[in-house]
Amino acid sequence: MATVANYSNIFVRYDLVGTGDAKGAKLSSKDAALQKVIQCVLEGDSDNIVDAVNEALATKDPMVVINEGLIKGMNEVSRLWDEGEYYLPQAIVASDAMLIGLEICEKKLGKSVEKKGTVVTHTAEGDIHDLGQKIVNALLRANGFEVVDLGKDVPVDEVITAVKKYNPVMVTGTALMTTTMTAFEKISKRLIKEGYKIPFVCGGGAVSNEYVQGYELGVYGKDASQAPGMASDAVNGMDWMQIREKWNS
Amino acid sequence: MPKFDKMAYASADEMIFGTAKNPVKYGRDFTVGGGYVFPELVPHPRPGTETTKKTLVKEYEKMVTDVLGRCVAIGIPGIQIELEHVYQMTKNPDWGGEIAAATKHLQEEYHRKYGLKSAIRATIADYRKPDEEDIRNCVALENQLKTFETSAAGGADNLSIESVGGKEISDYTIVRQDIRGTLFGIGVLGSRDMEFMWKKIVEIADKYGVTPGGDTDCAQANVAMFMAGGYQDRSVPHTFAALTRAISAARSLVAYEQGAKGPSKDCGYEDVIIKAITGVPIAMEGKASACAHSDLVGNLIAACCDLWSNEAVEYHDMFGGTTVAVFTEILGYDVALMNTAIEMGQAKILRDMMVESDKYRDTHGFILCPQNAYEIGKAIVENNTSYYARARAAAIKAGELMLKDSKLQMSAFEKESLESAMRTLESLPEKEEDFISECADIYKKLIPGFSLANYGL
Repeated sequence: MATVANYSNIFVRYDLVGTGDAKGAKLSSKDAALQKVIQCVLEGDSDNIVDAVNEALATKDPMVVINEGLIKGMNEVSRLWDEGEYYLPQAIVASDAMLIGLEICEKKLGKSVEKKGTVVTHTAEGDIHDLGQKIVNALLRANGFEVVDLGKDVPVDEVITAVKKYNPVMVTGTALMTTTMTAFEKISKRLIKEGYKIPFVCGGGAVSNEYVQGYELGVYGKDASQAPGMASDAVNGMDWMQIREKWNS
Repeated sequence: MPKFDKMAYASADEMIFGTAKNPVKYGRDFTVGGGYVFPELVPHPRPGTETTKKTLVKEYEKMVTDVLGRCVAIGIPGIQIELEHVYQMTKNPDWGGEIAAATKHLQEEYHRKYGLKSAIRATIADYRKPDEEDIRNCVALENQLKTFETSAAGGADNLSIESVGGKEISDYTIVRQDIRGTLFGIGVLGSRDMEFMWKKIVEIADKYGVTPGGDTDCAQANVAMFMAGGYQDRSVPHTFAALTRAISAARSLVAYEQGAKGPSKDCGYEDVIIKAITGVPIAMEGKASACAHSDLVGNLIAACCDLWSNEAVEYHDMFGGTTVAVFTEILGYDVALMNTAIEMGQAKILRDMMVESDKYRDTHGFILCPQNAYEIGKAIVENNTSYYARARAAAIKAGELMLKDSKLQMSAFEKESLESAMRTLESLPEKEEDFISECADIYKKLIPGFSLANYGL
């Protein structure tokens, strides 16, 4: 059988163009205990973060451990992901570890750390494919937001009820199929009717920018990683039209 | 439990498009794997048309008419149409049945008038929620089984599904690059759920005298593959996704052990491994499914196909006609080339060209080229002591193949991911019961709602 001598005329491995050695994390702490906490977050080490955080809490205020250890570590993970050094799995396991550490600190504090805002998330009625929503949840939580997770196959009424109950800064909807995403338009109309003008970020599978921009409140979420940035914009006072303009145009 | 203990083919070189060891005949003069490739067109309704049964049936009638019309316009000898259920068709069993009946009516008309060979595959939507309900006894399952019946009674010739057992575990583990959990979710739980589901599906198919088709690991291995994406995506390592695919072959095989006859489902990229083991005809999708999603196996994946599919195309107008007609034409010319190669005695040359086009483009195509798929199949049948053992063996074999071929390039990160997964795979317990016990302890704590009882454990 004849074989190909030179594959470069057939395809180009653009993923290997310009790749060098990984530069790694730039972040470190002079404090040994906090450095262990940061390291656990950077490595997504859920097994050892409990000991690391408890060790730090033995000599430090919980808010110091949160701000100088957990959050700093997570910010570095975000940077590494943004710069293409980390893959999503590393960001997710870092988020898992960070949230375990946060829970320990909150117990010591005797209260929850104030969240940046609340986001209601759901996957459309008829759709059981909620992986995208779960990633959105993890990334929002890792970025300091309270997430009200309504789960999958969620009827329109339940989304409206949750918005009324939790008064979120943003709502998200995930759908795999075009025949399930039609629920988004119904939700948008109901929210407007009930007087809510919050951004309704929709994405997933066959959901398109064009479709989402076809109804009021709709902001197209191309990728789960955009959710924290959009929620931050909402907290910082941008309305749904400004958020749409920034992320969708 | 595992049944296949040998390969259907003596070597990978025997495997080729258009011919399967065990061809399947059904529909209107329609044979799959009997010497020629046929297109399989999957129409998808426009958003909004699912609102009522009347509007949805009408939408399907229009789409099917356009498909059959284009076949006659350009001379395509035969076609399978897949009715891939939107959830409204499965949640309301009479809808699925009525759409199958309307499709059959149109196909019969074209067969009578023009002699156009045709068949219908009905793929029922599996909307069970493994982390929220008893998936062996729930309304969703009840509706799914009813819809299999109404579809068969209405006119579907082939019954298929994209089952979701183990998805609650694999969703959690794929995005964490946890190969142990992925092996558990797909290889063990997925296989056990398929054993449960396919006994029932085959029973219904036999009752109505239709063909039980096949399953696909769309809910799991395709999730990994699509998340891995193209060269610039950084959601899931491509090497990890490729291991997931090898595991999925051991899982999707269960349908055929329970009596499915094929052709397999088009989005089961693992099907080439299944064909090597079972000899059933397979449906595949590659370049012509770009209307639904992108992949890195556009040509290679056609090497052993018996049906050539477009995955799914939403109904709209294009310059060249409606989308379903346009994609029928694209598929029709693709299979015409394959069938011409068969007629001219050049099929193996075309097959090898398809393979060489993509074999080193990405790890997924690499493990699915016939030679490597065959090796993975051998690892499965040589380790058929349990669902776990064969799924693990498939993953280890895929990893070994990727690591030893110097032409397959991968970044340092991709290689590190693969080597890390291999270390984990090799360190896992030998016995299935030990593995299940280990995983049960871990994932019960991590995944709310996960229940072993859903899998008869």
